Amino acid sequence: MADKLNLKTKSVSGPTAAILLLVALAIPPFLSAINLNYGILICCFVLLYVVAVSGLDVVFGYSGQISLGHAAYFAIGAYGSIMLHKYFGVTIVFSMLIASAVATIIGIVIAYPASRLRFHFLSLSTIAFGEIVYQLVLQSPSAVTGNSLGIFTEPISFFGFKLDTYTRFYYYGLAVMVISLILKNNLINSKTGRALIAIRENAHAADGAGINVTRHKVIAFAVSTFYCAYAGAMYAHLVRFISPDTFMFRQSVLFLTMLLFGGTGSLLGPVIGAFSVTLLNEALRVAEKYQMFIYGTLMLLVIIALPGGIYGSLKRLLNRFKRKEAR
Amino acid sequence: MLLSIEGVTVKFDSLIAVNNVSVNIAKGKITGLIGPNGAGKTTLVNAISGVYAPNAGKVVFDGEDITGRRGYQISKAGLARTYQVINLFEHMTVLENVLVGMHTRLKSSLTAAFFKTRAERAEEEAAREKAFELLRFVRLQDRFDNEAGSLSYGDQRRLEIIRGLASDPKMVLLDEPAAGMNPVEKDDLDAMLREIINRGVTVLMIEHDMKLMMGVADHVFVLNYGSKLAEGTPAEIQRNPDVITAYLGDD
Amino acid sequence: MLARVLVSGLVIGCIYGLIALGYSLIYRASGLMNFCQGDILTIGAFLGYTFYAMLKLPFAVAFILTIVLEIALGMLLERAVIRRLLGKKVDGTYIVLATIAVSYMLQNGAILGWGTRIFYFPPIFSVLSVRVFDINIQSEAAFCIVASVILMIVLHIFVKYTAYGTAMRASAMDAKAAKACGVDPAMTIALTWGISAAIGGLCGMLIGPVYGVFITLGAAIGRKGFAGAVIGGFGNMYGALLGGALLGIIETVTTAYVSSIYKDVVSYGLLLVFLLIKPTGIFNERAIAD
Repeated sequence: MADKLNLKTKSVSGPTAAILLLVALAIPPFLSAINLNYGILICCFVLLYVVAVSGLDVVFGYSGQISLGHAAYFAIGAYGSIMLHKYFGVTIVFSMLIASAVATIIGIVIAYPASRLRFHFLSLSTIAFGEIVYQLVLQSPSAVTGNSLGIFTEPISFFGFKLDTYTRFYYYGLAVMVISLILKNNLINSKTGRALIAIRENAHAADGAGINVTRHKVIAFAVSTFYCAYAGAMYAHLVRFISPDTFMFRQSVLFLTMLLFGGTGSLLGPVIGAFSVTLLNEALRVAEKYQMFIYGTLMLLVIIALPGGIYGSLKRLLNRFKRKEAR
Repeated sequence: MLLSIEGVTVKFDSLIAVNNVSVNIAKGKITGLIGPNGAGKTTLVNAISGVYAPNAGKVVFDGEDITGRRGYQISKAGLARTYQVINLFEHMTVLENVLVGMHTRLKSSLTAAFFKTRAERAEEEAAREKAFELLRFVRLQDRFDNEAGSLSYGDQRRLEIIRGLASDPKMVLLDEPAAGMNPVEKDDLDAMLREIINRGVTVLMIEHDMKLMMGVADHVFVLNYGSKLAEGTPAEIQRNPDVITAYLGDD
Repeated sequence: MLARVLVSGLVIGCIYGLIALGYSLIYRASGLMNFCQGDILTIGAFLGYTFYAMLKLPFAVAFILTIVLEIALGMLLERAVIRRLLGKKVDGTYIVLATIAVSYMLQNGAILGWGTRIFYFPPIFSVLSVRVFDINIQSEAAFCIVASVILMIVLHIFVKYTAYGTAMRASAMDAKAAKACGVDPAMTIALTWGISAAIGGLCGMLIGPVYGVFITLGAAIGRKGFAGAVIGGFGNMYGALLGGALLGIIETVTTAYVSSIYKDVVSYGLLLVFLLIKPTGIFNERAIAD
């Protein structure tokens, strides 16, 4: 009976996903054909930002908790992977995973007590944690981390195959992004995902329905820190150089901006958000002096004009259109 | 006895909301809890269901001491509840609300969720089937995909009861289920309560509608100023002079 | 040595305390947090510098002009952004992010207006330093402490004994009931944002002459102000002042006796520890509990 009722799922439909994937696969050959190698790099950034922002969506979009400190986990992933590779000789693929696991453990330790805090105070605690990690990196011994000057590293290599061109990294990043979106989609469409949404909707009733609210908030936080840390490790081995100023408060705000621009609590929202905000930032580079001012102004305008984000607004528009057609 | 409340006291600062109340609730029956406004009925239910920890006394459910446990633990032990003010997940669909109610009965692990294992998919499918069966019980199956907040008041109340039943509880605590219902919906609720008992679920119900309460309850107890005033069959309660005084006032 | 350290700790501590006080006022009146308070301070310092050093106005005139403009800025922010978003019933995150967007606009707008170099106030007083208990204190630093204390007393009287103060406390307790009693909560909230911005501007005028005026002057102070507010007990006026002062002293002592490297780690560490272990702060303010 149930399957005949055409059950609503929140995931992207098969054909849409196939088309999007084909377009994504065609981007590097297209960009190199028009001699825009730099464009491929930008797309690599978009991919890793999608991973980070999707993680943030689990914690913010689904379980309704704010974080203004996810740059810290981005940093732990990036620095952790470089350190593990450089000083312990861990192969880069594994160093990325181990660093992300470490970030997740740290995230869990913080999230346990923090999950009791109300909205604004949760945001303050995440800001504090972000600042602490930033300061620790900035003030660390220069022989180890290069402190404020930064540190160089190598590209990812799979058993001798080096991801040392933008195109190669792009396809790797695309695979990682697709896998992380599928895993996120699976999580959301499970009892755990429902529990997260229930907590966002009404934590009191969720508790009454047998959901361990603290445990689920911590799960959401853990998933998001893993995603963010892995994206950080990707960033490190894509750029092959990192320095503390990539991991400032501004970066945490950037993640949240991408999420809110794209639309929260959806699979495509983070994709749209990461893509549009990255492109916007690139476009604003032309007006170097005014870049941050325009960025702030646009951010404010979008917040006031499109509170549901681009994805949410498109969906509303589409619904209105459908309703008109149905009449 | 399925639920025994032994000398439970709940205080808010200096105010004693529930004072040394002891009640036993028999398995498979509908027990009513009545009393004037402010008598401490909802506070007592909150103390049983883990919203507050009692300041004194013991709550034993099905042989297990659940005093002071958290709400989710008590729900897991088999004691579900509804709320005086409707407490649905408004923006989730009707079906999702019922599925959330099943949370404690679904066994799949987090790993199984991430990788959508066959067992997890089978469990989700079975959960949906069961959710639809419950929705048919209250004739909401056609609205499964609507947001819960879009239902009528009476339907929201019924959905909340179904969400409670979804966890296969041994007992449900209903806090004013008939509030805001029209007479037709109330008759429907009467039938529904009997059906819940037939399913082997014990009911403890706070209700102001005396007609409903006296018709359906097997046993009633009365709270007044936080203390137990009387208990007995509905007929005994209706004749009890103390109860009549409490409701009508001293003069 | 210790005395001098304590004095400079008190200077920055007073500023933290005042900024924290601004947060507490806004939180009490509207349950919101303002993430651009630090940049409002920066703007205040620049305005003060412009009026006093560039336009050569008397200090008192520069002071008053700055405060008036800052009140206008705060009320504009409330009108144009905060109230509009509240009217749309958006999620709180949007309001947080909106104030961060405004902070980007203020900071980068200031770059467009004043550039990125550091400006130094010409001396405000004819005496360069005052002597208290055998130590020399820079006049501007002494002024900062004295003015902060005076401001705290004025605000205390204002909140406790004026109609506005009563209205503010009433709206914070129960907006509906306050409205029924003839209090206009919207106006009260707007005024609160104005006052909070004025405090920010005043802090800029006080700390600018001590630290110099530059683009990122307020950013870190703004975040440290949160630490001060939490340590004292968020929403509690006196807690804010105490927390800010304590934080300033702890920071300066750390810098002097341990290392400046750990200064910020200690401040943010304190903020985190308080939030996770004692979120109600020293004054056990209940506003924060869930």
